[in-house]
Amino acid sequence: MTIGVKKVSLVRTTRDQIYLPAIFEGLLTTARHFFKNTLTPGMGDVDTIRYGEPEVDVKDYYPDRFRGVHRLMHREDESVRCVACMCCSTVCPANCITIEAEDRGDEREKAPKSFVIDELKCVVCGFCVEACPCDAIRMDTKEHMFPTEQRGDAVLGKVDLMSRGAASVAVQGGISADYRADAPKGDPRFDHDPH
Amino acid sequence: MVTYSRLVLLWLLCCVGILPTGCVGDDPALVGGSAPLTIQTAPGRLVFDAKTSEIAVKVTNNTDADVFVSDFRIEGPDWESFMITDDVGSSALAKGVSVELHIRSQTADFVGGLRPSAVAAEHLSAPAPAPDSFREGSAKLVFGVAQVRRPDDVQAQTVPIRFEESPWWMRYALPAAAKILLLVMAFIMPLASFLTWLERKQSAMMQDRVGPNMANISLGPLKIRLWGLLHVATDGLKMLFKEDFIPKRAHRALYTLAPLFGLIPALVVFAIVPFGDAVCYDGLFDTLTQADVDQCAAGRGGTPMQIAHIDVGLLYYFAIASIATYGTVLAGWSSYNKWAVLGALRASAQMISYEVAIGLSLVGTLLVYGSLEPHTIVHAQMDTYWGIVLQPIALVLFFTAAIAETKRAPFDLPEADSEIIGYFLEYSGMRFGLFFLAEFIEVVFVSALITTLFLGGWTLPFGVLGASGFSSALACQVVFALGGLLFTVLGVAIWRAHKNGEFVGALVGLAGLAQLLVAGWSAVTGWGTELPHLAIVLIGMLTWGGKILMLCWLQLLIRWTLPRFRYDQVMSLGWKGLLPLSIANIVLTAVVVYFMMGSLPA
Repeated sequence: MTIGVKKVSLVRTTRDQIYLPAIFEGLLTTARHFFKNTLTPGMGDVDTIRYGEPEVDVKDYYPDRFRGVHRLMHREDESVRCVACMCCSTVCPANCITIEAEDRGDEREKAPKSFVIDELKCVVCGFCVEACPCDAIRMDTKEHMFPTEQRGDAVLGKVDLMSRGAASVAVQGGISADYRADAPKGDPRFDHDPH
Repeated sequence: MVTYSRLVLLWLLCCVGILPTGCVGDDPALVGGSAPLTIQTAPGRLVFDAKTSEIAVKVTNNTDADVFVSDFRIEGPDWESFMITDDVGSSALAKGVSVELHIRSQTADFVGGLRPSAVAAEHLSAPAPAPDSFREGSAKLVFGVAQVRRPDDVQAQTVPIRFEESPWWMRYALPAAAKILLLVMAFIMPLASFLTWLERKQSAMMQDRVGPNMANISLGPLKIRLWGLLHVATDGLKMLFKEDFIPKRAHRALYTLAPLFGLIPALVVFAIVPFGDAVCYDGLFDTLTQADVDQCAAGRGGTPMQIAHIDVGLLYYFAIASIATYGTVLAGWSSYNKWAVLGALRASAQMISYEVAIGLSLVGTLLVYGSLEPHTIVHAQMDTYWGIVLQPIALVLFFTAAIAETKRAPFDLPEADSEIIGYFLEYSGMRFGLFFLAEFIEVVFVSALITTLFLGGWTLPFGVLGASGFSSALACQVVFALGGLLFTVLGVAIWRAHKNGEFVGALVGLAGLAQLLVAGWSAVTGWGTELPHLAIVLIGMLTWGGKILMLCWLQLLIRWTLPRFRYDQVMSLGWKGLLPLSIANIVLTAVVVYFMMGSLPA
């Protein structure tokens, strides 16, 4: 691939020096835009998304990987998917996730007693979603952080986070998900028996 | 026809007892002259009619013998201005015979004897007439009466002449107040506010953005937005309620005065802008001739559509425009801020430089039209061609210099948001609002001046609309058909292009259809050559307003298209570009005018 050099003449011609032709051309260009944008349906070349208009749904315009307000996903029995592994709170660069674990009562897993995210501290990096091993925390609400009057209102607890949640289609690790039993035979990765 | 103003005057005067109750009718009592040879004149006290600038007198020989009447003349401080048009000379007047006599003012602009001619003032030591509306005895009709039998025994008879015209407040104050209300309050100020919105919206449209559109009035579920037009009101409210900040070390008095120095000159210059020919109080629904309208324009029975009809005209504009410099300089200096001072410095240098170019670029126009008075200049354009045809170079030069004078891009060095913020850096709230508004008022004024000097003011092109109507039915049809087509297309486009634009689109479209109907009506009946005076006045004002709007739009287009000059480029364009070109234009125009002396009104 060769690099082309475009030579621009810096010699001012008479046409440049009387200004008016260039000015007239410029005016024509801007006037063309003006009339196209005012007098054609759909406002011509104006591509602005009219956020804030009542009939415009912001979510229609955001990409699927847009990171919005967090949510906690549900199991099939509507309980929280989170197993309080602390991956998200560990990876969080802003230290905005606080999890207090408790016994889930099924002798296999923990559950969060409280799951608190301070949305004002959150830097919306999405590391928590990447870190989560069981698809419990997501940022796919396409919802902006909402304005609050009190700082405390921006601290979301388990109930708030779960109210945005839904059932996940992923297989839940834990009860009845015996990956050793379901693993393909002869796969050396599953041969090691810790006991 | 008794004018409305005269009725009011007479009623008032009769009320306060200045006039005897019989003032309207004949008064047989005569002044001077001995009993047997008194000739009756009707009316007994002659009235100078300011509208026709004429005194009509009927002289009746009511004596019991034939007489000679001779040597009619006017005596008094104003006598030079009159001449007796009916030459009765020295004639015998038989018993019981009447003769009509007309005494006419010689000078066309003679209004009610307020301006005694120089000759009269020099030769007669009579005191200058008091500038009130009603003067009696300041002039009198004198003639000699002699019996036929004894022609040498001439007895002088005098009849006082009353100058009747409306009082000063009726002639000047009321029309001026009405015109100020109509022009400044009902047109300029709303238009300037409108331009603050248009500037933002138009720039948005030119740059493929949406622009201001959120301000609305909620009527229940209905939100009226009008493309953000209500931002004009919300911006005004915001300005009014913002903190009125004065820097601690600012010069408080000058800091307070500076916005007024910016705003008031910008408003006051509108006094000379004619926004129509003249309106006649009496014949609003009659078809008038140009001569009638000229009478009204001179203040007789009407008023020119111009706040101040002054002969110095454009000189007044130059004078006031240079005062506007003080607003910027004082604002910058009194703020006690080095950036503001820089802005003020730039503003003063720029405005003073470009004032030279403005003045000189218009000289060519003045040479062609031979007058400094804008109303007269528009009339001269009606008689010949518009200034854009006769003086295209002056138009370009003046437009450039005038944009520089308004301190807007590409000449916005005094403001220069990206470098020094400008001379009004410290101003906030409505004080800043006044500078902001003054800038847009100057934009409107530049449009008004260009309309007046180069685009034929209130007139339609090619002289299609005269004082009594369109020059032909075809002209009427063409004008209304073109206007109707434009409005209809525009209305349909607005209807289709904008959400909720149906109402405005329908209004514009209907206006277009109405014009098309008028054109059709004219095509069928040949109507249009004789229009009522009121319609002519309205069409004139609409034409003028349309030209102003178009030029304002053009100025905004220029402002949002061209990048800013560097400071030295501004100076070199002014002094090395516009100034020599305007002088060349003067020389060229002077040569051409000299050789075409006969065919141009110069």
